[in-house]
Amino acid sequence: MIEDLTGVIEITQRIEASPEIVFAYLTDSQRFVRWMGVGAELDARPGGRYRIDVDGVHIASGAYEIIDPPRRLVMSWGWEGHPTVPPGSTTVEITLTSDRGATVLKLRHIGLPGEGERRTHAEGWVQYMSQLAAAGGRD
Amino acid sequence: MQAPTRDASIEAAMNAIANPRRRQILRLVWDAERSAGEIAATIDDVSWPAVSQNLRLLKDSGLITERRHGTHRYYRADRRALGPLEAVLRQMWTRDLGLLRDLAEQEARSRKKRHD
Repeated sequence: MIEDLTGVIEITQRIEASPEIVFAYLTDSQRFVRWMGVGAELDARPGGRYRIDVDGVHIASGAYEIIDPPRRLVMSWGWEGHPTVPPGSTTVEITLTSDRGATVLKLRHIGLPGEGERRTHAEGWVQYMSQLAAAGGRD
Repeated sequence: MQAPTRDASIEAAMNAIANPRRRQILRLVWDAERSAGEIAATIDDVSWPAVSQNLRLLKDSGLITERRHGTHRYYRADRRALGPLEAVLRQMWTRDLGLLRDLAEQEARSRKKRHD
């Protein structure tokens, strides 16, 4: 069921828009909340913090480590109250590369817990996953 | 480019744990293997066919494994299936970045239109 055990997620997305427009969707609260979560407060500057209400139940939060518009953004990432992925425990790096008028977005989510660490106790796992399941029906 | 994909196994696991009865079963077999009889005896407020159906659904979703010994069946949580965190995150990012793409492209088109 789990194919990737390395603790890294990599996603590449080509977007027919300039890096400037794409970057605005990463750092501008009003634009951001249109593609992720149901509410977001972003203080997008180095050292600034963000808080994203992912689904009305789960809050993702962290701090911006690198902001290099319109090319690169690095932020810490975690869920408040999560047993194995609390805020500050993982890192999300997004790079934008200009390509013939379009943008190639690469997202790397690194530092995810390994096989051993994610064997959280039953109650935490069941509760967390059932909340995710309940919130997952929005698309 | 990676097309948005829905991971069928994650979907099945999510559906499986959406039900409180199945969550109860999952907790029972989390750390120890238990026989179908033991499970049914613990969950004594529903009929055996209902318990049996929930066990089958949990098994089909990959969250628990079944071992047969003679006429008995034993169940326990499948550790490999209990950490779909990466898959959930991958699904979240893939879906959300797809939305970001649509929005940014829409904005790029409307800006271009204004310039034309």
